[in-house]
Amino acid sequence: MKIRDRQNILWHITFIVLVLLFLYPIIYAFFTSFKTLPEALNSTTKLLPKEPTTEAYSNILSKIPIVRITINTFVIATIVTVFKVITGVLASYSFVFFEFKGKKAMYFVLISTIFIPFTVTMIPNFITISNIGLRDQILGVALPQLADATGIFLLRQHMRGIPKSLLEVAKLEKTPHLKILRTIVVPIIKPAILSIGIIFFINSWNEFVWPSLILKSQENYTLSLALQMFVSSEGGTDIPVAMAISVLTMALPLAIFAFCQKHIINTFAQSGIKG
Amino acid sequence: MNSIQFENVSKSFGKTKIINKLNMEIKKGERMILLGPSGCGKSTILRMISGLETVTEGKLYLNGNVANDIDSGDRSIAMVFQNYALFPHMTIDENVGYGLRINKVAKGEVKKKVAQAVDILGLTGLENRYPKELSGGQRQRVALARALVKSSDFFLLDEPLSNLDAQLRGQARKELVKIHEMYNQTFIYVTHDQIEAMTIGHRIALMNQGDLQMLDTPHNVYHRPANIFVATFIGSPSMNIITAKLDGRILHLGEQEVELPDMWLRQINQSDVKSIKLGIRPEDVTLSNTKSVVSMPVKVKYVEDYGNRVGYYFDLEEEVVSIMADNIFSMGDTVYWNIKPEKLHFFDAETTNSLGYPQEIL
Repeated sequence: MKIRDRQNILWHITFIVLVLLFLYPIIYAFFTSFKTLPEALNSTTKLLPKEPTTEAYSNILSKIPIVRITINTFVIATIVTVFKVITGVLASYSFVFFEFKGKKAMYFVLISTIFIPFTVTMIPNFITISNIGLRDQILGVALPQLADATGIFLLRQHMRGIPKSLLEVAKLEKTPHLKILRTIVVPIIKPAILSIGIIFFINSWNEFVWPSLILKSQENYTLSLALQMFVSSEGGTDIPVAMAISVLTMALPLAIFAFCQKHIINTFAQSGIKG
Repeated sequence: MNSIQFENVSKSFGKTKIINKLNMEIKKGERMILLGPSGCGKSTILRMISGLETVTEGKLYLNGNVANDIDSGDRSIAMVFQNYALFPHMTIDENVGYGLRINKVAKGEVKKKVAQAVDILGLTGLENRYPKELSGGQRQRVALARALVKSSDFFLLDEPLSNLDAQLRGQARKELVKIHEMYNQTFIYVTHDQIEAMTIGHRIALMNQGDLQMLDTPHNVYHRPANIFVATFIGSPSMNIITAKLDGRILHLGEQEVELPDMWLRQINQSDVKSIKLGIRPEDVTLSNTKSVVSMPVKVKYVEDYGNRVGYYFDLEEEVVSIMADNIFSMGDTVYWNIKPEKLHFFDAETTNSLGYPQEIL
């Protein structure tokens, strides 16, 4: 018992150190965003700001339409997430519970799209979006991302864990497929759907290259594009401002993760359905 | 009118034939057992009745109508699955009332019926629990309750007791019979367990490799087996099948010989077969030190004491024969087998079919 306790303490110390290491940049960004520029540049400065100021934040507010940009990012991420989840759930349901000709081949083709690098589809997608006149519009960012093979793959794995007999019970009651999906399949794999949705959301939130191709005017920017304005060589070296916009960019994903972490961890800890 | 009728029904999965030209009738309100070793096609038959599996060839009648193309939801089927198939995200009440709610039965009615089924199965007090919070026996009863509330014409059970321990199984068997007597639906029960088959069934359909071997009452399946497969499948330890040769009145069993009574001579001689096999159940021979009417001396090869009974093993030529008896002998003893003539079974060695039974003992 004693030895085990000591080992536990050692593990805990290791983990705490690791957590601090991972968290440090975030903590640094948070506190630096409340410093003045001279204080941030001074190498002798402490982690905590001497005289906290929201100067950096008001600076951002005056320079760019940050509220609008946040809403843009949110709208894009929400559209992308909702559609990816809906198309993913529907597609994986038919892959798991229907028998049809060419099912295996279709699934294979679909899954192989995961391995096509973004850079390959980038230009064709760009041309398509330009041709339908959606350049510099947030819909143009969302449109090519409404379905996703990774999501279908993950959801299919989870749906396969549902015993077929559960669906057979429903079939004996003449339950329509959409109702089976809504009242049985979705509730059972809800934790998986939630965590996959969160991953989609955060990915879309952080996306940079594709929005940077499509969006031109500042009022249509997403947060990661705005972030670029302040941290790139053109953006200058106003460190507090750069940190402030970083904090704004990561605030929502962090909040979502904190709120849903139980579900996310559950999805990866629990494989299949028991009982 | 028969409740369920199979007319030359075959079922194949790809090239594999699972059921081969099945002809079977199941009466209304009957408890029919589908019995057989795993892979014999018994579950497939059940699933064809339910409509979860299609009929490849032939006709399946439900309540007199061809049902081959009727959707499983329109067949009035309630089914209990081997793994119970309870919805993990619904409480017991929700699970039991699922079918009623889907079929838009009025709320008050659902509540009443669910409460009744829950009560009958002794699940009162567990209504708001989730399946994972119940024991195996309780889950099994929830599955039963869910099937019961449907008050369907057909009640199908696919090895419902196989996940329970032996003690619970004994209790559940009695409950099943009791419940069936209350509701009186046509009851089709799949099992590989012969005790369940014998105790629950009005009739047993014994299957092997897609063929119906025998369809009769448990008593006849046990005492009048139609062929060697049936004879050895039912009964534990299983029936001894011994190669025999009939020479006049004398039946040769290896080096042993025994004189057969007239009724058996007539029965065997009327069926014109070349070679025969004798079947004797281990419990149908008594052992003693003295000779009786139909008897022969054999040397004990091996003894197993089970406590309540003793198992003896004998060598008859190449075959090892087991006999269960009450009295005590030792290895190497020579004892007389006293055979009750009415407890014998004879089979055609080629077709393995029974040679039938003499008029006198039918």
